[in-house]
Amino acid sequence: MDDPNKVWPTGLTVGESEELHRNIIQGTQIFGMIAALAHLLAYIYSPWLK
Amino acid sequence: MIYGKLWLVVKPSVGVPLFLGACAVGSFSVHFALLTNTTWVKAFLNGNTKTVMAEGSAAGAPAAPAAKK
Repeated sequence: MDDPNKVWPTGLTVGESEELHRNIIQGTQIFGMIAALAHLLAYIYSPWLK
Repeated sequence: MIYGKLWLVVKPSVGVPLFLGACAVGSFSVHFALLTNTTWVKAFLNGNTKTVMAEGSAAGAPAAPAAKK
């Protein structure tokens, strides 16, 4: 149980934590790209800055 | 990636749903604000362009609401 690599309070290793964070960052980027596309389509449909 | 060690402090079973929930709440409120503060979203949802036959207006073509503020 007392693996020296595990870090508390969560008990993950640094590698696990960074792996999770890398995936969260990628997911957020994909969400961002979809949102950018949606904004482009919305602007084409109804330009709100004109 | 500067916050890579976040998950050593924040439990993923708490942090991940919290993060996704915040995104969902944010997204919902932005869409709701648009729905209540614009006319074109409601018109779009109502399929407004379909009422052309009912009104029989001269325009005919389902043009996008260009000048609508």
